[in-house]
Amino acid sequence: MYCYLYDEFIQGNKRYERELLDIENRLTDLGIAGKISRLALFRNAEEMIRDEIDRGVKTVVVLGNDDTIRKVLDVISESKIVLGLIPIGPKNELARLLGIPNGVEACDVLSARRIEQIDVGTINGRKFITGVRVPDFRAELMCNDGKYRVVPTSRADLEIQNLADVCNPCDGMLSANIHSSVRKGWGPFARHEQTNSVLPFQFLAIRSDKPISLYADGEEMQGTRFDIGIEAMILKVITGKSRVFI
Amino acid sequence: MFRAKPEQSMTQQSSNETIIAQGVKVEGDFHSQGDVVIDGEVSGSIETTQALIIGESARIKADVIAKNAVVAGEVKGNIRASDRLELLATSVVEGDVETANLSIASGARVNGKITMGEVEKAE
Repeated sequence: MYCYLYDEFIQGNKRYERELLDIENRLTDLGIAGKISRLALFRNAEEMIRDEIDRGVKTVVVLGNDDTIRKVLDVISESKIVLGLIPIGPKNELARLLGIPNGVEACDVLSARRIEQIDVGTINGRKFITGVRVPDFRAELMCNDGKYRVVPTSRADLEIQNLADVCNPCDGMLSANIHSSVRKGWGPFARHEQTNSVLPFQFLAIRSDKPISLYADGEEMQGTRFDIGIEAMILKVITGKSRVFI
Repeated sequence: MFRAKPEQSMTQQSSNETIIAQGVKVEGDFHSQGDVVIDGEVSGSIETTQALIIGESARIKADVIAKNAVVAGEVKGNIRASDRLELLATSVVEGDVETANLSIASGARVNGKITMGEVEKAE
């Protein structure tokens, strides 16, 4: 049994009216039409999904973008139901990584039901799928229960990846990539060179004296302490043939 | 009918390979179950059950334990490689070396005791 969750920004928006109609027709043709739930300003997405699960829903299909998925990720991964996507509009990086085309073409991918179980990362108890980005990283990473720490010695950006073009989301590991800019040579001949450090890990902590900003699946978080971990293979998601992982 | 399958990304990195590049410093007891490449700075200890490559720009102040090791940079500490140790021409080792097979290139500097024979493996 399918439940389709429409994000607020696509409802009543003339730009997506025609596309939504085509999607609904295609879903009916494929025989996978289901109940439609609509997100709204004062409606809690998690409560809506819990109600649908109680009514026997086994697959929740999100119509929207990466922001919509963030709203429902915690409840879907905890309840072990299947997540499907119909990407609409811009900001659909996750759908691209999962090999799901935009708009009406996604209905055929849904119908094929190629389900993969993937890892989900956690940061201070909040879940993320793709990764965490820390621009201008000036803090330290505490790894392996504090047995060793990693600090950048030059200007660096930190990227923690779960699902990315070069990162497998089914291996039970996250990958911390530190992109540093290293000065080489001297005087007027000096130049900056990019280097990339890679640390695979399951648990890691970011510690900073001053508050830092980071972006988990594109959403900003601020603080001085972040505990990052992984929950292996807890999210069941419908993927397309052109997904970036094997 | 015979259309080629869409190309799958084969560039996904081996999940256990660790790279410590220039611009990064590691302090403490670093343990790994996979291959390790070091071009940055490490102080403390390094232990891996697989291969270890210490690049030319690496500065290590640590005891090193690995299955196989290739050293091109500077190591201040003891090195124990259970299978094979290769010291390249640019390498500088200040510490004792213990390995089953040893290769030292012309130009490499070793200040320490070299012991060869059966070596206990890293855990």
